[in-house]
Amino acid sequence: MNKLSAKPRLRMLAGLPLLLVAGLLQAQTHRLFVTNEGDNTVTVIDSRTLKVEATIAVGNRPRGIGFSPDHSKVYVALGDDDAIGVIDTQNLTLVDTIPAGSDPEAFAVHPGGNLYLSNEDDNLASVLDPVSREILAEIPVGIEPEGVGVTPDGSKVLVTSESTNMVHVIDVSQNAVVANILVGARPREVTFTADSKWAFVTSEVAGEVAKLDLATNKVVQTKSLQEIDGVKPKGVLLSPDEKLLYISTGRSNSVAVLDAETLELIDNIAVGNRVWGIALSRDGSRLYAANGVSNTVSVVDTATRKEIATVDVGDMPWGVVLDD
Amino acid sequence: MHPIKTPTRLFATLLTLLALDLQAAEGLKVHMLLVTPDNEVYASHIKGAVLGQTEGNIQGRFLGIDYQLEEVSAASGAVARDGISAVIVAAPFDQLLQVYETYAKSGVPVFNIALQNDGLRQVCRPGLYHTPPSDRMLADAEQQWAKVNDGAAITALAWHPEFVKFAGRDLNKRYTEQFGEPMDSAAWAGWAATRIVAEAVVRTSSNEGPVLNAYIRDELGFDGQKGLAQTFRNNGQLRQPLLLQDAEGQLVGEAPVRGAVADTNDLDSLGIPGCL
Repeated sequence: MNKLSAKPRLRMLAGLPLLLVAGLLQAQTHRLFVTNEGDNTVTVIDSRTLKVEATIAVGNRPRGIGFSPDHSKVYVALGDDDAIGVIDTQNLTLVDTIPAGSDPEAFAVHPGGNLYLSNEDDNLASVLDPVSREILAEIPVGIEPEGVGVTPDGSKVLVTSESTNMVHVIDVSQNAVVANILVGARPREVTFTADSKWAFVTSEVAGEVAKLDLATNKVVQTKSLQEIDGVKPKGVLLSPDEKLLYISTGRSNSVAVLDAETLELIDNIAVGNRVWGIALSRDGSRLYAANGVSNTVSVVDTATRKEIATVDVGDMPWGVVLDD
Repeated sequence: MHPIKTPTRLFATLLTLLALDLQAAEGLKVHMLLVTPDNEVYASHIKGAVLGQTEGNIQGRFLGIDYQLEEVSAASGAVARDGISAVIVAAPFDQLLQVYETYAKSGVPVFNIALQNDGLRQVCRPGLYHTPPSDRMLADAEQQWAKVNDGAAITALAWHPEFVKFAGRDLNKRYTEQFGEPMDSAAWAGWAATRIVAEAVVRTSSNEGPVLNAYIRDELGFDGQKGLAQTFRNNGQLRQPLLLQDAEGQLVGEAPVRGAVADTNDLDSLGIPGCL
């Protein structure tokens, strides 16, 4: 079981320089990192025991969170500090705060190490080199940029503009927008297939998910999730075998499970209140969900599709990532 | 569309449709009129409409669409002009209806952004839209609140400058940065109208009144930054959540009010559901 889950990771490794491969082989900490937008902290949870290991004060309005390619660092977008906080994943200290342009909300870490981040009130996506601390490029996008995703092959970055209802496709080699794709109202997050050919984008107010063909930059499939009452799709992830799509539903307080091929709704897993950020274990057996109004993280067994535990975190948890 | 008989005709038709689609989307000019008498009463409405046009143009930059918002007097608004995609009206009742009569025959959508009276909604004219909440909607919101909160004096509004949910914080910030003052309900109603026109334009790739009208009437789900997608009733009223403030002007809640109604996602608990 789950032999298929090994394949995407091997394909990814084949495309990366040797140095990063060596880096990836360092021992995983099995730690969950959760940003708490309301109290300016990051909660660290041991995913094996579900005990809170630490609460780290990071700076103002933490939201987006993501690992450096070797997982030695976890970056946190500090919107009200106009900066990216850097946490050492081993000793759990805030080791740096890097200026990152105005109001960074979220970001994606490129396999080469740069951060592509959304500057929410400036209508920009910025490219930040966390080593030199330089902003390498500022790319005009639409209003309220939020979700940022990088294709596994590192060739493209997609940015959603929530108020402009678009996904902007950035060609990494030029650091310029090469296509703009209209999607449903208030697009939020994006995820990719391992072959970098397809993307899935959630639209919160339209209550739907769209599948994008990245060869033609077109929407090829859309599925309304409005059978879930009051649905507000936000986070979106593919299972490691790419058969299932998991979508957090905001104030519908659940994680929807869709067949990734047909986009039919298979299940709707009750979790906590106002669920946004989600993360999957590498083997796909566990899903973690940040419940922004319950102030908890839900732990879901994806085989039984049930919440099996909750962990108390800080105020208004927003995003969650797992180092495994 | 005529029936397609041969594979070559199908191919030719598809090519033509594709070419038309690209043509329509690129270099599209959208000319909107903003009809308003020279009166301070409408100052916020106008600012809101201008913000909506600005935002439409930010989106339009990526799609090759340009929005023009031309402010004209009520007298001017009563004289039909060609090439108008939509008419936004911040004016008293008589002037609004005169503008509507001028443009209704060509199917150009007309938006009332200032008047709240229920009587106006009940005239039920096709292609006449209302972005401000009606008096009845506001009263219903206040009554819902009173059901679950004893004795508090409360006012219902379309918008509040301290609303932060659903990216309300961002909209308030954009308005304040552009105009140097808080965004109020009047401004929200103006903003909604021009943003709705832009939404219809990008979804239909058209600047033609009747095409936009059909989309707005039948398909539009507008993100008014109050959480729920907003649609128009058959009497032209924009369904919308409302905000509630106390006697000190502090934001205290939203309507439909939790605990007062069975389903807070049902916006028809506010106001008259439609043409009778």
